[in-house]
Amino acid sequence: MQSVVELKIWPAARALPNARVFASIVVLCMLASAAFASWLPLQVSIVTLFLFAGPHNWFEFRYFLMRLPVRFGRSRTFFLTAFAGLGVLTIAYVSLPLLYNARLWSDEAWSTVIATWNSLLLFWLVLLVWLRSKQKLHANWTWTIPAGIGLCSLNWLAPDTFSLAIVYIHPLIALWFLDRHLRRTRPAWLRAYRRCLCLLPLVLAAMIWQLSQTTPLLDSNGLFWRITQHSGAQVLPQVSSHLLVSVHMFLEMLHYGVWIVALPLIGRWANAKFWDIKTVPVARHPKGFPRVIAGVMMLAVVVVVVLWFGFSVDYSTTRDVYFTIAIAHVLAEAPFLLRML
Amino acid sequence: MKSLIVACCIVLLAAVSTQRANADIAKPKPPDKPAEKQVLHTSLEIVPDPKAFEAKLVISESDWKQLRAALDGTGGNAPLAASITRSSTRTIIAGLLMFLSVSIAGVLFARSASFGRTRKTVGAVVLIAAMLGVAAIITRGNAGPPPSYRWRNLPQALAEGKSTVGSVDIEITPDDTQVGPHIRLVLPLKKQNSTGEE
Repeated sequence: MQSVVELKIWPAARALPNARVFASIVVLCMLASAAFASWLPLQVSIVTLFLFAGPHNWFEFRYFLMRLPVRFGRSRTFFLTAFAGLGVLTIAYVSLPLLYNARLWSDEAWSTVIATWNSLLLFWLVLLVWLRSKQKLHANWTWTIPAGIGLCSLNWLAPDTFSLAIVYIHPLIALWFLDRHLRRTRPAWLRAYRRCLCLLPLVLAAMIWQLSQTTPLLDSNGLFWRITQHSGAQVLPQVSSHLLVSVHMFLEMLHYGVWIVALPLIGRWANAKFWDIKTVPVARHPKGFPRVIAGVMMLAVVVVVVLWFGFSVDYSTTRDVYFTIAIAHVLAEAPFLLRML
Repeated sequence: MKSLIVACCIVLLAAVSTQRANADIAKPKPPDKPAEKQVLHTSLEIVPDPKAFEAKLVISESDWKQLRAALDGTGGNAPLAASITRSSTRTIIAGLLMFLSVSIAGVLFARSASFGRTRKTVGAVVLIAAMLGVAAIITRGNAGPPPSYRWRNLPQALAEGKSTVGSVDIEITPDDTQVGPHIRLVLPLKKQNSTGEE
């Protein structure tokens, strides 16, 4: 009897120090990110984006490939809807700056265009949720339909603010991915991780309290102006741009940390070499596509190098181009997250 | 004689009543004062600088563009509530969608068998509270402390040589109504008594 009790206790007792170390690292990273983002928001924004934007997209792309089934099977409709929506929405989003420069519409009509794109995004998300719920026997996700329509309503009231909300919410999705990933690979850490997440609103509240009355950041040059505008300085003129850039940068740093450090190093992929194509199920499977996957992964590496080169030559323009095209990875997170729920 | 006195009394009464009637007529409205036009809501920082030679008004390029756009009548980025009220088409679409959302949510909620009566009641209360909250946010009913709150310590900050940041509405007034200096800064400061309480 005693040995049975010991066997039951032993794994938890063994996992406890690891969970504590993991929680300590998470808290430390959170506090360090908040401190740096609050202290030097513009400088940290420039450096962080230069170093981590491309690599985090590469790791995210690899993560999605890892979760892609070799055969879609029952999920065929789900994945076709996901990829079709991803393509259409990305092309539409990338064409928006071109249309804006053509000066075809007034400001009011332009708001309607943005609201329409946001509505299409919400429709696509609700459709994916509905398709996913059909695959789950005991899931009742019908509440997402009125929730989606409600969000759509708010979007039509203030399209710019809704778009800005996407900018701030997107980094938090990475934390949700990590939660689901830990649940599968390191369930003993999940409780500690969720307790760490409780710290996030407190850190955000502290940042808002400290920075709400600070002097707006100087947007004297084109790059600084772009950074403040991307964080919503024009949409929320009554809020200090220092606060906006700092909070956005803080969330982005957490986002990069999850994709580049946490997800590759935790779980059963921790021991695998991330550059090894055979670690990707679609490439490893006998009916898989190893050459295609190898080619795509190499192409992604080239894109990362090109991005670094672009940042070195013309940071401002590359930043604009990156944030326009990067909508694809924002959208791609939705179907893969739904597959994990 | 008697009839003469009566006639005089009637004339006098008529005259008095006429005067009273005239007194009751509302005064003619003074000519309409040209309305002040609020064009921008932004933040203002007052910075005491001992090294400065002259007072200086520094405006960011984006604010200046918004001011110019507002004066040209081409819009600009209005505050959230203002942008909502200015767009009737979007407001109608948003209203229809909100109606649809609440209706579908209500039907789903009522048809849901997994919820008991108490939970449904609580859910309905939460839903109504959320709707009221959203409406209050949109109408700025719960905008928090008044804008004057941030200016309350301005005199003390100026005395200590510190800067103060607060919100400011930029208004454009017609030239003929302008009194005094060309640019005037009105601060929402209340006179403080000797105990330091407002």
